[in-house]
Amino acid sequence: MLSRRNEVWIALLCIVAALVTAMVWVPLDSETPPIYTFRRQINIGDAMLPLVSATGIAICAVIHLLLTLRREPATERSAPLDIHTGSFFLPFAAIMLVSCMLMYWAGPIALALFGPTGEEAVTYRQMRAAFPWKYIGYGLGGFTMVFGVTSLIEGRISASRALTSMLAVLALILVFDVPFDTILLPPNGDY
Amino acid sequence: MGVLDYVWAGIMAVIAGPAAFELFGIGIPLVGLMVLGGFILGIVGGATPGLAGPFLMAVSLPILLSTFGFSPDALLPVLGFLIGVMKGATVGGSVPAILFNTPGTPDAMLTTFDGYPMAQKGQAGKALRTAHFASVSGDTFSDLVLFTCAPFLAVMVEAYLGFGEKAALILLSLAFVAAVVGASPMKGMIAAFLGLFIATIGTGQDSYARLSLGTDVLSSGVPMITAVLGVLILGEILFAFEEMWRSRRVDKVSPTPIQRDQRLSWADRKRLMPFIGVSAAIGTVIGALPGIGSTLAATLGYSTGERMHKGPVAFGDGTPEGIAATEAANSSVSGANLIPVLSLGIPGNVGAVFLILAAESIGGFNPGPGVFRFTTEEVNPELVIAFGLFTAMMLANILNWMIGGRIMAACGVMARVPKQVLLPIVLLLTLTAIYVQETDFTVFYFAFAFGVLGYGMRKLKFPALPFVIAFILAGNLETAFRQAFAVSGGDPFFLFKSPLSLVFLAISVGVIVFFSLPRKPVNKAIEAEEGA
Repeated sequence: MLSRRNEVWIALLCIVAALVTAMVWVPLDSETPPIYTFRRQINIGDAMLPLVSATGIAICAVIHLLLTLRREPATERSAPLDIHTGSFFLPFAAIMLVSCMLMYWAGPIALALFGPTGEEAVTYRQMRAAFPWKYIGYGLGGFTMVFGVTSLIEGRISASRALTSMLAVLALILVFDVPFDTILLPPNGDY
Repeated sequence: MGVLDYVWAGIMAVIAGPAAFELFGIGIPLVGLMVLGGFILGIVGGATPGLAGPFLMAVSLPILLSTFGFSPDALLPVLGFLIGVMKGATVGGSVPAILFNTPGTPDAMLTTFDGYPMAQKGQAGKALRTAHFASVSGDTFSDLVLFTCAPFLAVMVEAYLGFGEKAALILLSLAFVAAVVGASPMKGMIAAFLGLFIATIGTGQDSYARLSLGTDVLSSGVPMITAVLGVLILGEILFAFEEMWRSRRVDKVSPTPIQRDQRLSWADRKRLMPFIGVSAAIGTVIGALPGIGSTLAATLGYSTGERMHKGPVAFGDGTPEGIAATEAANSSVSGANLIPVLSLGIPGNVGAVFLILAAESIGGFNPGPGVFRFTTEEVNPELVIAFGLFTAMMLANILNWMIGGRIMAACGVMARVPKQVLLPIVLLLTLTAIYVQETDFTVFYFAFAFGVLGYGMRKLKFPALPFVIAFILAGNLETAFRQAFAVSGGDPFFLFKSPLSLVFLAISVGVIVFFSLPRKPVNKAIEAEEGA
């Protein structure tokens, strides 16, 4: 359990979110209400389960709030999220963003720059299952992801980790792509 | 077809089913090969700290589905592989626990108490053999209980429960899981309701996809495998990344001296049997209850064994009885926790979640009471699959008895793989596995969103398992509600009309209230299970 103060905030947040959902989102974004009559037959509508779920969250959060207010102060004092969380997740998110962008765009850009030239333009869709184009995005993006995250966690950059990352990406290509004709590595299914 | 005909058909579906290849003119059954592959992968993964059975099942599932497709022929090979992984990971978890004082899986934590001291005394080989013997004994016992209990329970459920009672039973299961997993039953209930809520997005019976905010991306619903992998696997990976980043240290491993005699004699095995027997019974009972995992079983098995033990070496100082009591208990959970899956269609733990996901994705096999319909005039293919599954489990046990110990001994090297290297690879592996299933980059958005949700749940101490189980069961629950309501003629009290559903609902409330009482001790084992 977290500290009492944190638990109270969590409970309050859950109550507000659940009430807004139950009173605004669910009624406005469902075609049929919780109970409706159609051809003189009473039916359960599409709004029923989400409404029950949201109400359930609100009720449980209220009980949790009351139980938390009654309990002794907890032993765990540290906040669940602190400045260190942001210090890690900001660079982590940047690495993931760059990795995904590389994964998505590197193949088509490489094809545009270095692909076969001729009278008819070749699209990436035509080449998405052809070596080496199909591996460029996954290879570059995957390497950046594995190497970047490993280096971030260790706080240093090393050649051995770069080699390990390359081998890992190669191993995943061997597992996912080489034995199977039907499987498309990311991002080739999108083109 | 009679009962024995069904059993025989299930056995033949495994051993005389499609052949993977021929060896000297003899066809090697595909299902058997898949069980073997899953079993080896499971031991290797279980022996690798940071990986565990659910991790491996999660990333294997999309590859298996892409390989075998979505026809009923794919069911036994895919489920056989996943069963192999589940069983392999159970025994593999003890390897790093014994050799390096690092549990490969959370339920092997108590194995370190006696396993590592034995390894320090130079008895690592004997400790590994003890763990293997106890683990495979407990697992086999548990499977036998599953084979006998699940059909009877399913037949009773099908015979006596109507729509209303089935809806109440699902509510009871959700309440039970929510109450026992994690330190706060109310947070477990909130997680379960959130799972139900998210499962309703983009689904329903109307032409408009409810709660989709009018967007295309939500109108086709939340992809189930992506959501489950996001919350369970990516959430755990993100949590582990942050923990490693905060600590920024690598566990150093030092070599240990080895004694010459590492055998486990028949006298040793005889001496261990009472501990294995008691722990296997405890683990089987615990495993049959949804939500209570193998870590609690290991804790109870260990403490019971400690009370039984009268030998010269005390528990915790490196005695084989301590390892046997722990390993038999945590391994006997794996078979028994398929009892609620096969008889009620309710997954009791994370491993079972992936079995249900596989069955739902492929189709043609809907785990639940309907499986065990012993129809005599026409063949019930689901029942044949169920007995095929039992055969695959026994095959995995036989493999475990024969070669499990040797593979375990060879997997010690896996514990030396640094987590900070392994987990980023697992991240890419998981994302790749998710993508090959959907072949659409937008699935990454869902994956990251659910990964962040899973991370947040871990940080804020919300258990992830009730969320996932509710998410999976939401469709069944809504269908049961609608049918029960229609049958009752629109009676708003349809859930309270039958005495049996009243009993189920009363127990649900009772379980929640009981576990919410302030005198409930915080069980570290359950917390560890929730963290798994």
